[in-house]
Amino acid sequence: MEPDYLATVLLSSVSSASILLIATIGLAVVFGLMGVINLAHGEFLMIGAYAALTATQRGLPFALAIPVAVVITMLIGACVEVLIIRRLYGRLFDTMLATWGLSMIFYQLAVLIFGTVTPGIGMPQFGITIGRYSLAGYPLLMIAVAALMLAFVYGLLTRTVYGMKARAAIQQPEIAQAIGIESARVNTMTFAIGCGLAGFAGAVLLPIVPATPAMGFAFVVKAFLAVVVAGPVALTGSALTAIGLGGGASLTASFLTSVAGDAVFFVATAALLWLFPLGISASWRRRM
Amino acid sequence: MKSSLFLASLSMAAVLGAGPAHAETRIAAIFDLTGGLNIYGIQQNNALNLAVESINAAGGVLGAPIKVVTYDAQSELSKYTQYANTVVLRDRVDVLFAGLTSSSREAIRPIARKANIPYFYSSLYEGGACDKQTFVTGASASQQLSVLIDWAVKKYGKKIYVMAPDYNFGTISARWIEHYARQSGAEVVGQDFLALTVTDYAPTIQKIQAARPDFVVALPVGANQTGFLEQFAAAGLKKTIGLVSTNYGSGNQQIVLSPDAGKGLIGNAEYFMAVDTPANAAFIKQWAAKYGNDTPVISAAVDVWNAVHLWANAVNKAGTAKTGPVIAALESGATFDAPNGPVKLEAGSHDLRQNIYIAEGDDKHGFKIVQVSKDVAPAYENEKCDLVAHPALAAHFSPDKQ
Amino acid sequence: MTLSERTYTSAGWLFPAVATAAALAAATVVDPYLAYVATSWLIFGLLGLSLDIVWGRGGFLSLGQTAFYGLGGYVGGVVAINVAALGSLPLLWSLPAGALCGAIAAFALGAVIFLARMGPLQSTILSYTSTLLLWSVSQSFALTAGAATIGGDNGMSNIPGYAIWSRDPAETLGPAGVFAVVTIICAAVYFITRWLMTGTFGKVVDCIRIDIQKAELLGYDVRKYQIASFAYAGAVAGLAGAMFGAWSNYLNPSIFSVQEALLVPIYVLVGGLGTLAGAFVGAVAIGGLSFWLGGGAVGGQTTLVLGVVLVVLVLFLRNGILGTIGGIWAQRLPGRDAAAKEAGAVSIDTDVLERLLEDAARQFGPAKPLVTRDTFKRFGGVVSVNKVSRTFAPGQPFSLIGPNGAGKSSYLKTCIGIYPPDAGCISIGGADVSRAPIFARVRNGLGVKNQKPQVFGELSVFDNLWVAAFARTRRREAADRIADQILTMLGLQHQSGAAAATLSHGQQQWLDIGMVLCLAPRVVLLDEPAAGMTNAETRELSSLVRTLARHMTAVVVEHDMEFIRTLNGHVTVLHQGAVFAEGDIDALRQNDQVLDIYLGRRRHV
Repeated sequence: MEPDYLATVLLSSVSSASILLIATIGLAVVFGLMGVINLAHGEFLMIGAYAALTATQRGLPFALAIPVAVVITMLIGACVEVLIIRRLYGRLFDTMLATWGLSMIFYQLAVLIFGTVTPGIGMPQFGITIGRYSLAGYPLLMIAVAALMLAFVYGLLTRTVYGMKARAAIQQPEIAQAIGIESARVNTMTFAIGCGLAGFAGAVLLPIVPATPAMGFAFVVKAFLAVVVAGPVALTGSALTAIGLGGGASLTASFLTSVAGDAVFFVATAALLWLFPLGISASWRRRM
Repeated sequence: MKSSLFLASLSMAAVLGAGPAHAETRIAAIFDLTGGLNIYGIQQNNALNLAVESINAAGGVLGAPIKVVTYDAQSELSKYTQYANTVVLRDRVDVLFAGLTSSSREAIRPIARKANIPYFYSSLYEGGACDKQTFVTGASASQQLSVLIDWAVKKYGKKIYVMAPDYNFGTISARWIEHYARQSGAEVVGQDFLALTVTDYAPTIQKIQAARPDFVVALPVGANQTGFLEQFAAAGLKKTIGLVSTNYGSGNQQIVLSPDAGKGLIGNAEYFMAVDTPANAAFIKQWAAKYGNDTPVISAAVDVWNAVHLWANAVNKAGTAKTGPVIAALESGATFDAPNGPVKLEAGSHDLRQNIYIAEGDDKHGFKIVQVSKDVAPAYENEKCDLVAHPALAAHFSPDKQ
Repeated sequence: MTLSERTYTSAGWLFPAVATAAALAAATVVDPYLAYVATSWLIFGLLGLSLDIVWGRGGFLSLGQTAFYGLGGYVGGVVAINVAALGSLPLLWSLPAGALCGAIAAFALGAVIFLARMGPLQSTILSYTSTLLLWSVSQSFALTAGAATIGGDNGMSNIPGYAIWSRDPAETLGPAGVFAVVTIICAAVYFITRWLMTGTFGKVVDCIRIDIQKAELLGYDVRKYQIASFAYAGAVAGLAGAMFGAWSNYLNPSIFSVQEALLVPIYVLVGGLGTLAGAFVGAVAIGGLSFWLGGGAVGGQTTLVLGVVLVVLVLFLRNGILGTIGGIWAQRLPGRDAAAKEAGAVSIDTDVLERLLEDAARQFGPAKPLVTRDTFKRFGGVVSVNKVSRTFAPGQPFSLIGPNGAGKSSYLKTCIGIYPPDAGCISIGGADVSRAPIFARVRNGLGVKNQKPQVFGELSVFDNLWVAAFARTRRREAADRIADQILTMLGLQHQSGAAAATLSHGQQQWLDIGMVLCLAPRVVLLDEPAAGMTNAETRELSSLVRTLARHMTAVVVEHDMEFIRTLNGHVTVLHQGAVFAEGDIDALRQNDQVLDIYLGRRRHV
């Protein structure tokens, strides 16, 4: 094995894992802070992608289109929380089914509104070269984006009033209630942030994955698994599982076949669940 | 409770299910008008309606207008089975135009065979479908690849890498690529089969670079896999490695792809909108008048257009819409002056002998034709499948693994 | 009983029987096309039934039913094609093969999920993953098995249809005949399932759904029941798949697709979760709706409509069609639960109790000591149980006391088996149970009454006791007798048929204690049994515990010092997970150090 090949493979595996992490963080935030699995997460990703795409088509630069996507998905997320999620608190399966139904609605609406073929915005044409091998630059940029996203969410939860309230509401719900934290409002905010993060992911990944109504599906299966394997300490746990599982799958795909990569992902997931039936973080003491 | 509901739906369905006796010729169209495959399905259905409109304007078949019954298969395979049975059992149509994916064709074929009505399948496909009632108007994998590999080996060199989806279309195409590579004295230096859900193309990009091919045959399916083409370009591989495809463009992927990534990619099909024939000019004018010209017409649409015309001509020639005489008429060397050039139905294989075009992507989401191979025969299908000699044959041939 | 009441209680048999007869009658007159389509609705209903067994009754939302369905279909198809090639009747072999294959697959997945005791979310997502995995694997899966060819994405063609008279594969039944055959098979499966789920097996499955821990505390190996019902549901799904293959004559990987998987919970929800018959009602209703909407190109927004239907159902119509009707009907019937309100204070009939306990001793041997040696348990950095060595023996009640956080509960849970100990050992009557699961300890003679009353609220008072008695005896008649005796002892005869949830809190505590007694335990652990009881009830309880302690080992964790004083037994004080002091209560009351830790005074804190 030539060292330059090994280096590019490692680098691109980290980038693949980062892409998975970007797609996962929003789901992890909602699950960690609300105990809700949002099966429409992939469709929020898709909404973010279409929002960013539409904004760039209207002449906005891509960098400004991303915040537009975030705002739109946050608003939709807040509405969904108020209209649906709030009524189903504590009913895990029902929430999953309702958001599943929602995902079909969003999907079909996207087909109706945008049709099936929309021009992509293309990937910025720059790359790096290591020895004899070259790599597309934009996917590598996602490593930094994933790190920034993690740092942002961590800061949001530890350094802001909202974050304190949100953490209080999961750690000591009764006391939080007693000192006047309105858990309903905090939850609406949390869900909106989770959806906003999905929207951000959809927008920032748009050059890599073109906007199509079904694009969410490609990510969510692995994102769900990463979050579920992570368990109750969703944020740290998901960061670990997304990087570990996603990176492992990508490495396997580089040395064997893509199908083997997927198989490794699923088998590792099942094995981890067997060893940690409630997720790898079930017995951790930290809460984020 | 169960009973009352059952009876309610029963009476409801009875209202819907009352099939009238009919005298006019009825044709059925089952395409994906909604769901993920409607990129193709809507255009196929549009082409069918346009064809029927133009035939009816010219007097219809057997002196009466054709009547169309349409069903939306919703990109779900179970719907194909259901509606194929619907048109057979309830609508009692004379002919069936349906399907995009190979699996939809395989779902419909036994039903058409059992009901003994002609069935036209209009899409590029992996090849080898063979039975008396089934007619294919799209190009088969071998038909396309025989032309493409030869051209690409001459243009780029003798080392080939294959990136293909991990199902029939991809695996069978890969076998043909190996076959034609050997014929041209070239060699397949690597293969990567991707599951349809893969979005991570970095490993494939690495493997391509490690294998150092002269060109890549990429068969990306669905919009997700156009991401591969973006990454291929962004990694700078396009500068040194050629990229050719038998299905790039078949679902208007050139629109989704950015101009930077799309420029210089090679597509290959039985039809491109850029084809320069009088028949195509007339066809496009008619199409634009009815459906506008926002989206380029795809090859599957032209395949449907050709299928309807071939069938209508055969009915008029046979003087009846009955299955036996119509199939006989179709097998008696049916031809049609199609938008993609003259086409001829092969009596034995029920596949089309037609032109195969090689086109190069430009920087405006479009194609320009770089080579026309006239009158390419579906050689493999002709070799394996002779329905004139063996009318009872019902099979699906695929080349052996080599 | 009024006619309405009688009809209500037998609705699960009566209406499906009527519907079956009506469907068979309709088969003779109905339009062939409708018969053809309606056949698929019944098959989907059967698939829905398999989910209802797992979810409505078992409490686990499996998104993997279509996996078993698809596998059953493929295997059934392969078998049918080969059997037909040999000139035999395909259905006779393909349906059992499909069912068997579904059962095996479900057994394997169920074993992973239930033996590992995965959380609900993990289980659901894992079942979903296995469906998706099959979907992507089957895309490229090509195999020639005898006369059958599975062609990856192109699927498998030429699956023989429904032929029951003729051995000639070409001579299959017409649409009406197929509809009749499918109706009969569906009805048969439904009635078998109904019989199974209203019988003993079904009762235990219900208990597991309502309170899995309590079911295990009764000595049921819940995992076996979960795996068994999951495997049975897998068989039903596999059978449905084989029937579907024979109906459509063609199968393809899309049978494992997300859309297919989504429809199954919709059928169940529309019809009514947990009603069994609801799955068929839902499938026919959705099938009819989809038929109507998707029947032409115009209304082809089935996906959109189904999505909206699912959201609306979950939000507003949780009980589905049958559940809603059943609920309204039940409200109009004279309440069987009315008796619960009339129940007076429980008073234990000591004579009956003594007799019961003597019976138990004769049958199950003498009381067993509970011994822990250096038992150690830590959570992260906190040591909850610090090398506790104790021997509890019969003769007098043992009490565990200590301030909050002293480790009483953790110690008790380690003895019960809820927490596995990190070190040390625990034995019951000399048998080492340190690593044994809860139910095994229960079968070894352990009886546990937790702080909150753990009763199966939806079951009747009698059934609660019966399920407990059956756990030990494994014989119906014996369980009947014991449940009757305990019911009499508790003085709850009049409330026998009332749902346990309608009892008052205090009565539920007694019922729970009654369930523990049904087990005839040799060691009994009571966690704060007096919590929430009136003074009179507490006195009654104290006398009960003293009686129990004469016949078995009795350990009580309690805060109520007055209660502990009346027990007049041996007291152990725990502090920071370790034994701090022991003796009788009066001596401990004089102990300054004990007072210090209770009052939080500095020296020993």
